[in-house]
Amino acid sequence: MSQYGTDYEASATAGSPALSSTAAEAATGYRSSRGGAPVVSFKNVSKHYGRLRAVDGLTLDLRQGETVALLGPNGAGKSTSLDMLLALRKPTGGKIQMFGSDPYHAVKSGRVGAMLQSGGLMPEVTVRELVTLVTKLHPKPEPIDTTLRRAGIAQFADQRVDRLSGGQTQRVRFALAICGKSELIVLDEPTAAMDVETRRLFWNSMKEEVAQGRTLLFATHYLEEADQAADRILVINRGRLLADGTPAEIKARAGARRLAFRLDRVDEPFLLGLPGLVNLEIRRDVVQIQSSDSDATLYAILDAGYRPREIEVTSLGLEQAFLAITAEDDRANGHTDATSPDAHDAHERETN
Amino acid sequence: MAGTLALTKAELMRLMHNKRYFIFTVIFPVAIYLIVARSVKSTAYGVTLGAYYMIAMATLGAFSGTLNGNAQRISQEKKEGWIRQLRLTPLPPNAYVVTKVLVSMATTVPAIVIVLLLGRFYGSVHLPAWQWPVIAVTIWFGSTIFAALAVAIGYRFPPDQVQPVTLIIYFVFAILGGLWFPLAGFLGNIGKFTPTYEAVKIGTDVIQGASVSAGLAVGLVIWLGIFTVLAVVAVRSTAETV
Repeated sequence: MSQYGTDYEASATAGSPALSSTAAEAATGYRSSRGGAPVVSFKNVSKHYGRLRAVDGLTLDLRQGETVALLGPNGAGKSTSLDMLLALRKPTGGKIQMFGSDPYHAVKSGRVGAMLQSGGLMPEVTVRELVTLVTKLHPKPEPIDTTLRRAGIAQFADQRVDRLSGGQTQRVRFALAICGKSELIVLDEPTAAMDVETRRLFWNSMKEEVAQGRTLLFATHYLEEADQAADRILVINRGRLLADGTPAEIKARAGARRLAFRLDRVDEPFLLGLPGLVNLEIRRDVVQIQSSDSDATLYAILDAGYRPREIEVTSLGLEQAFLAITAEDDRANGHTDATSPDAHDAHERETN
Repeated sequence: MAGTLALTKAELMRLMHNKRYFIFTVIFPVAIYLIVARSVKSTAYGVTLGAYYMIAMATLGAFSGTLNGNAQRISQEKKEGWIRQLRLTPLPPNAYVVTKVLVSMATTVPAIVIVLLLGRFYGSVHLPAWQWPVIAVTIWFGSTIFAALAVAIGYRFPPDQVQPVTLIIYFVFAILGGLWFPLAGFLGNIGKFTPTYEAVKIGTDVIQGASVSAGLAVGLVIWLGIFTVLAVVAVRSTAETV
């Protein structure tokens, strides 16, 4: 399996490959089970820069206690969406609400802790001085020593902020996001610049935060993190929401498994009519199929009298699911950019 | 308010860590004063050179500290996203700028106090007791108005351009203001409109016992207005990119 390898166990629930988010809600009921007003709601939110639509009609709700990953390729509108949520930028259209008020007042009431890629630290002071300062700015903060311990920065608390390594700096920024004991924590690419061990520690301390009933929203391009840490994933591309569901649902939506084999006389119209087929790729005698029901797909091929060779059935990780969803969106919008070659690369990594 | 105070305290703490600041604001004017004050028996603006240079050097140290330190820091902190990080906290939106100005007002104090003490005990400047605080406050006001200009520069220019911009402004206001040596003639007439000249002239007029012209005080207030407008425009126009 690849570095992102996650065994796909939930294919049994993958009813329809085009599983919509509402269907997913009905199937799992996890959102309705939370109840109460949403912590965050986007209603048809847009941000345009001239003709560029960085965010284009985004609508979503976050409930208390959820850990939500915002997943999308570079330039998908993740950072712009978080900026608007945190009142750093004004939407061109639509409405954002947080804790029943507008983003600006929610941020100023101290109910949000955030760590942005573009956020910086005050230089020339020690880590402890900096954490103390930001802690004092919040109305009901965490004790400073608790913050230092949770963020794993106690051992270098007396070092100067401008003399830390990239990973250490990242942990200090994380400390600033949690020191206010805020109800919502927003993280933009939190583990960039962290090594594997630091990343593991980071997610452990994050779980501690979530266990206390906090809501967590994070943007990431590490699919492994979205898969393991989030209980809900929002896939966005070109500023629009493409998928919304549990990691299992997202994988199911893209077609659960990949079926690959060699076939001497390829009959494309027949293959396109196979049950469960989500995507078909043919390279000379090599056929690759993404299927929501790989058993049915395979039986149909055999029943039609074909005898494919070198049959491989592999689980799709979240990465393939993600690439499939965005590629589908790109095709639907008439864009044929670099997404498909990436899918091949990903496939090669997966099978190697 | 508590947040603004906490930030001010942290900023003052940073200043203590920073040695370069003291070179510009204290050591440089003190050194010049030690060299010049007793070397020539002469007068300027109707007072002894010892008294003139006492006021000029205190102003130089105070205004250059305000200008150099702050513009560079603000620009750097804007680029690195510290201002942005502060916007994500409950801190009121103007607190960052307010704090920078407050800290500036505090940072001018050492230069002013030390140079005035030198004037009294090294430069043989003997004044009635009431004149000392009047002079100190005038210098302090005349130099802290540059805190607003530093905010404008810091928001407007990236870090690598701040240095040359502040250096030009520093030289223009130091030379035209007659801080290094008294100016006469054409340049002297232009220099009369600078806030640095106005601050120094108020001080020397007080020492002479002459009545201080209202124009000088009004001039300082006008400069404060100009710098403040520049700062507000710079901060507002960059609101979405900070």
